[in-house]
Amino acid sequence: MAHKCTQCGREFQDGSNVILKGCPSCGGKKFLYIQPQDMHKDVLEEKSIKQIAEETKEQFLEIKDDKKRPETARTPKRVEMYDRIESITVINPGSYELNLEKLAESDELVIRMGDDDRYLVDIHSMSNSSKSKKKKYKKR
Amino acid sequence: MNFFIRTKKRLSRYLNAFFKKRQSRIGIYGPPNAGKTTLSNRIVRDWTGDALGPVSEIPHETRRARRKEGITISNQNGNRVTIDIVDTPGVTTKIDYQEFIEYGMEKDEAVKRAREATEGVAEAMHWLREDIDGVIYMLDSTLDPFTQVNIMLVGIIESRNLPVIIVANKIDLPDASASAIRKAFPQHPVIPVSGLEGNNMEELYEKMLEHFG
Repeated sequence: MAHKCTQCGREFQDGSNVILKGCPSCGGKKFLYIQPQDMHKDVLEEKSIKQIAEETKEQFLEIKDDKKRPETARTPKRVEMYDRIESITVINPGSYELNLEKLAESDELVIRMGDDDRYLVDIHSMSNSSKSKKKKYKKR
Repeated sequence: MNFFIRTKKRLSRYLNAFFKKRQSRIGIYGPPNAGKTTLSNRIVRDWTGDALGPVSEIPHETRRARRKEGITISNQNGNRVTIDIVDTPGVTTKIDYQEFIEYGMEKDEAVKRAREATEGVAEAMHWLREDIDGVIYMLDSTLDPFTQVNIMLVGIIESRNLPVIIVANKIDLPDASASAIRKAFPQHPVIPVSGLEGNNMEELYEKMLEHFG
């Protein structure tokens, strides 16, 4: 069944995935299901979309924003590579994630241990002093 | 004004002759298993008869940067350039020992390899920041070049204003597509080669003379 934007009246073919992001013409998020024979009825018979909806008793299709979707439906939120402070993440012994941007910037090493926001700061890499010292602290 | 420019050029030529500038260090960068060591060995063997390091089908065979100094590349027109070749560990954003276990490695050995490979990437990035004057960026032309690592690393190289030649390797394989790499990086010269077979190496050497000379 075709779709009709309730805001501007633009019609879309059945199965059109263009409307998933809202109407490309007006950005409307609410669409009326219409039978092929009812297409262009608003123009031809000078009826409002509301009237057509009442006549045909068809359902509305509402496109929901990502923000309104339940938490589980969204992809897990990930901090952008550039915003991360750690140069290396140790997921578990033998599995590592490397932040190339940070590694390319400097030799200073901030290592994140697992996903529980524990960080290792390699102080030696941050100073020119020959006295090397490693400090470990919990951020949280 | 022209007089000043001419004098400056002449002066810098004299100074270069007296205080010989160190040779350009050319880093061979790229994702793991692109054929960096194979190409490095090919270049070193072609011009010095030596080799640089062992190669393997298991990724991250090269876990320390290896350098060969004083390689002089020349052509029939008498152009020549002397460079140091630095073969670097494959750059990636994720290293997992499980990958090596799939190649039949014992767990302890795989974990050790993953740790060394991680150090190797950090070392490769360190070299890129301080000691590299030009880059040969290696890509496996049978794979999609649009990866996060490739785009990020080429971006980092560009931000450092280093001259770069992109090498589309493994053109001897049937599903190789150098044109996909050209499309991905139109701003840089792309030379299709087979490091293993030695195909089209002359074009690469010509481009190296032009770019790093």
